[in-house]
Amino acid sequence: MASNAAKQGTKIVSKTAAAGTAAAGASGGPPIMPLASPLMGKKKKPFLGMPAPLGYVPGLGRGLTPYRVYPSIHPLSVHPSSLMGSGGLLVPISSCVPGKRRATGFTTRSDIGPARDANDPVDDRHAPPGKRTVGDQMKKNQDDDDEDLNDTNYDEFNGYAGSLFSSGPYEKDDEEADAIYAALDKRMDERRKERRELREKEEIEKYRMERPKIQQQFSDLKRKLAEVSEEEWLSIPEVGDARNKRQRNPRHEKLTPVPDSFFSKHLQSGENHTSVDPLQGLGGLNTPYPGSMTPGLMTPGTGELDMRKIGQARNTLMDMRLSQVSDSVSGQTVVDPKGYLTDLNSMIPTYGGDISDIKKARLLLKSVRETNPHHPPAWIASARLEEVTGKLQVARNLIMKGTEMCPKVKIINGLKANSVEALKVSHIWYSTGVTNLFDAGSYVTELRNHDLTLPEDSLLGSDVCLELSCSDVDADGLRGHQRGARGDLVSRLRSNLVFGPALENVSKSVRLWKAAVELEEPEDARIMLSRAVECCPTSVELWLALARLETYENARRVLNKARENIPTDRHIWITAAKLEEANGNTQMVEKIIDRAITSLRANGVEINREQWIQDAEECDKAGSVATCQAVIRAVIGIGIEEEDRKHTWMEDADSCVAHGALECARAIYAHALQVFPSKKSVWLRAAYFEKNHGTRESLEALLQRAVAHCPKAEVLWLMGAKSKWLANDVPAARSILALAFQANPNSEEIWLAAVKLESENNEYERARRLLAKARSSAPTARVFMKSVKLEWVLGNIEAAQELCTEALKHYEDFPKLWMMRGQIEEQCENMDKAREAYNQGLKKCPHSVPLWLLLSHLEERVGQLTRARAILEKARLKNPQSPDLWLESVRLEYRAGLKNIANTLMAKALQECPNSGILWAEAVFLEARPQRKTKSVDALKKCEHDPQVLLAVAKLFWSERKITKAREWFLRTVKIEPDLGDAWALFYKFELQHGTEEQQEEVRKRCENAEPRHGELWCTESKHVLNWQRKTGEILALVASKIKNTF
Amino acid sequence: MSYMLPHLHNGWQVDQAILSEEDRVLVIRFGHDWDPTCMKMDEVLYSIAEKVKNFAVIYLVDITEVPDFNKMYELYDPCTIMFFFRNKHIMIDLGTGNNNKINWIIEDKQEMIDIVETVYRGARKGRGLV
Repeated sequence: MASNAAKQGTKIVSKTAAAGTAAAGASGGPPIMPLASPLMGKKKKPFLGMPAPLGYVPGLGRGLTPYRVYPSIHPLSVHPSSLMGSGGLLVPISSCVPGKRRATGFTTRSDIGPARDANDPVDDRHAPPGKRTVGDQMKKNQDDDDEDLNDTNYDEFNGYAGSLFSSGPYEKDDEEADAIYAALDKRMDERRKERRELREKEEIEKYRMERPKIQQQFSDLKRKLAEVSEEEWLSIPEVGDARNKRQRNPRHEKLTPVPDSFFSKHLQSGENHTSVDPLQGLGGLNTPYPGSMTPGLMTPGTGELDMRKIGQARNTLMDMRLSQVSDSVSGQTVVDPKGYLTDLNSMIPTYGGDISDIKKARLLLKSVRETNPHHPPAWIASARLEEVTGKLQVARNLIMKGTEMCPKVKIINGLKANSVEALKVSHIWYSTGVTNLFDAGSYVTELRNHDLTLPEDSLLGSDVCLELSCSDVDADGLRGHQRGARGDLVSRLRSNLVFGPALENVSKSVRLWKAAVELEEPEDARIMLSRAVECCPTSVELWLALARLETYENARRVLNKARENIPTDRHIWITAAKLEEANGNTQMVEKIIDRAITSLRANGVEINREQWIQDAEECDKAGSVATCQAVIRAVIGIGIEEEDRKHTWMEDADSCVAHGALECARAIYAHALQVFPSKKSVWLRAAYFEKNHGTRESLEALLQRAVAHCPKAEVLWLMGAKSKWLANDVPAARSILALAFQANPNSEEIWLAAVKLESENNEYERARRLLAKARSSAPTARVFMKSVKLEWVLGNIEAAQELCTEALKHYEDFPKLWMMRGQIEEQCENMDKAREAYNQGLKKCPHSVPLWLLLSHLEERVGQLTRARAILEKARLKNPQSPDLWLESVRLEYRAGLKNIANTLMAKALQECPNSGILWAEAVFLEARPQRKTKSVDALKKCEHDPQVLLAVAKLFWSERKITKAREWFLRTVKIEPDLGDAWALFYKFELQHGTEEQQEEVRKRCENAEPRHGELWCTESKHVLNWQRKTGEILALVASKIKNTF
Repeated sequence: MSYMLPHLHNGWQVDQAILSEEDRVLVIRFGHDWDPTCMKMDEVLYSIAEKVKNFAVIYLVDITEVPDFNKMYELYDPCTIMFFFRNKHIMIDLGTGNNNKINWIIEDKQEMIDIVETVYRGARKGRGLV
């Protein structure tokens, strides 16, 4: 085996380069060994037997690093001696090859190796003494670490601040070197000293120039301070305190009285209190404080405290403070001790005079009363005396007695003193319940007779009067009277007894005057008012009332006078204008209003547009049309920006219409049209206004003017023509249309209107000619459609078809033409052709829902249910969320008897179009009868304002025979959507069954006014060829008759 | 049987051996050919060498001749077996607490084969420790 191996080995050697062996030999390695075993196979490794490259570090080639690395150690921290070593346990050998650390050695505990003793020899045998053992090395490393090698200590140029070699001894040669360095530095410093210093100085100066000190900056200003005199200096205002209020006014120290609980607590602990001693400092006052002064009074430790004593102490303290204050030397006492202490007493009114005087007076008055008890002044004087002394009750009693003694009045004669006293007494009197009515009256009378004017503005006097008389009348003043006489008495009393005198004195109270006048007969009222306006010349109301009561001539005079008195009120002017108008002087009205505005302006009154318009509306309602118009004309333009005019006026007109002031609105429109004669929109609004609220004549007149100004506005022409036609004035309508043609040649609208006019009046030939002309001059789709339709309804099927074909050449994507074509074919029973027409049409206009519906109907009619279904599905696909298609699908199934499918379809439909009223309405009736109500509630929730749903609900009630409710809902439906023919038809039918003739008639009339155009049932009838000339009323009856009560 | 197995005579060769094997496990026995422990081990290694040659290659290194790795791999024992795969030392958990190497004799050939195979499988999966 060995020989075999040797043989192979030699073989290999012979094959490999001789250099290998040579190198092996040169490396001084062991003798040549078998380089490869048979196990190596053919692929011999080329490295086997090769010597290592010079300086190769084993492991390096593999990127291998030994198993312990200390990456955190700064290279400089490694002691040179350790760098020289082969790398002990703690020093990585790889530090020689930094950056090669890719692989690491093992890191398990066992890899740390057997724990070495500190005395173990390090591998480096040549290490200097002291580093030969592991322990020594560790110590050294620690020492090295002690050196501060923090980054903050590092300088880019100088390196670390400290000497790296600071650890070495400072030897003699070091000292010498330092000395040499120092000398060198010194020499260098001296060499340029002068120049350097000079330069530094310059630099500083330059710096100062650029950035002077504040002190220097203001030096020029400061120089002037020398001129400031002493007074000027002193009168320099203080610098304000810029701090906020709280900082400026720091809170004073707050002193709180010591609470009682504090005392009792400390008493319990039996301490002697030194802290409550300020009393002692106040001049040796003996404090009644129990703990310190009278220990016998109170056993300390009982826990009880004589609060009374404490209170006394406090009072004493307060007293002393006050006396101290009053005695203070400077005399500037803040508190007036007397006033302070007697403050409460002063609350009681005291008689200033001597008390003996009062007693004497009392005695005197008493004797007067006794000698002449029927002398009121005695009573009054006594009462007043008692009142003054504050004994109100006594005063009251006296008055009571006095009234008893002097029932027949004059008691108040004595009350001449002043009104306040009178009032007081009267109040006393009143509050004592003095009951004699006539006394009350005379009281007031007397009051007035003696010029005891009550404060006019307070109305107290009049209130007193009223109260007195009323309460007295109510209470017992009527004791002897019959109740029937009461009202008469009241009015008499009021006006004569109360108001009469009251007015004499409180003659400036408008309120009183009005109250008084109201009670009078017209004639008396007039007299009273003439007096009233003299007294209250500034009351517009009184003036106007007077003017109203006067004759024309006098009224004018009155108003003129009023104007003189109140030059700032517009009502007088307006009333004057009304007056003139009422008396036929219409031309004066305008003048008056104009003058009103100028004079009011001259008097500095601001013309408030809104108020004036309101006045105008009132005039309108009062029937003074001319005034109203004049006012509108005068004020409408005031205070409005140029560009806002039209807008504001239209709004004003609308609000006038809303308030029912039609003349006002008309005047506004008239004015607006004067200003904007060429504005179409204004004309339109005016025309609609006339149409809705005016007469036919006014409308036509307006429209004539309108078309004169805006000949391009087709609508105005058409409105005119229609108005004429409705009045059965066909030639006039024709002429209007002719004029319209002249103004708007080739206008489709006018063409069609003319055609309609002719065809409706059975002038088919003219209509045909017109259409032919229209087709040649304005070949629009609608013109074609109308032409086809005309031929169709006249029964000229061929002509219609021809026209249709021609039209479709021009307008392929006009679905109505396709529909007509199909329908004509259908009418002729040419189902295939009809189908073809529809299909072709659908190719061109796939989004025309009616076309889809027609096709499906056609298929259904010929019995092709599946086809119809497919068509509808396709239609739905092309027109998603179209409730009509869904509805048709549902109905198709329903008609075919497939109720389940219909129901599911309906559910789907409602999911897709949840807000479609028409679907909900159908859904309600798809339900079984008991569920219909809930379904209708759902429907109402979803589409609250949908006429179809409302109609469904109405039908529901109708089916339940809830007649009134059904009617209510029908009314609601036609109100919400008057254009819905179905609703009208159903309503009419309903009334035919359940209503009176009047109700039927009313429905029919309202329907005719509304001219409905929409609705499923409605359209089938109204668009039917045979019904083409029918009026709305006829169609209504027709539709109603076709409706079957299927519910 | 040490002479039947290839030896690596210097650090460079060891490195090259480890680097050159692409898809076989490298089994290196560190020790001395004259050591009785190694002799026994070599006997086993030689006898399995043929069997495992598809997934393992075995080298012998004299730790006196090549002392470069003694420190690194802590080769203090008479006989140490280590595994490498693609320049990566593969550790093997034999429940001894030292996963880095096998420093005792495995006399059962089959056991040795199993160990090598396990190392190979694990190393192929990218494991550093099997």
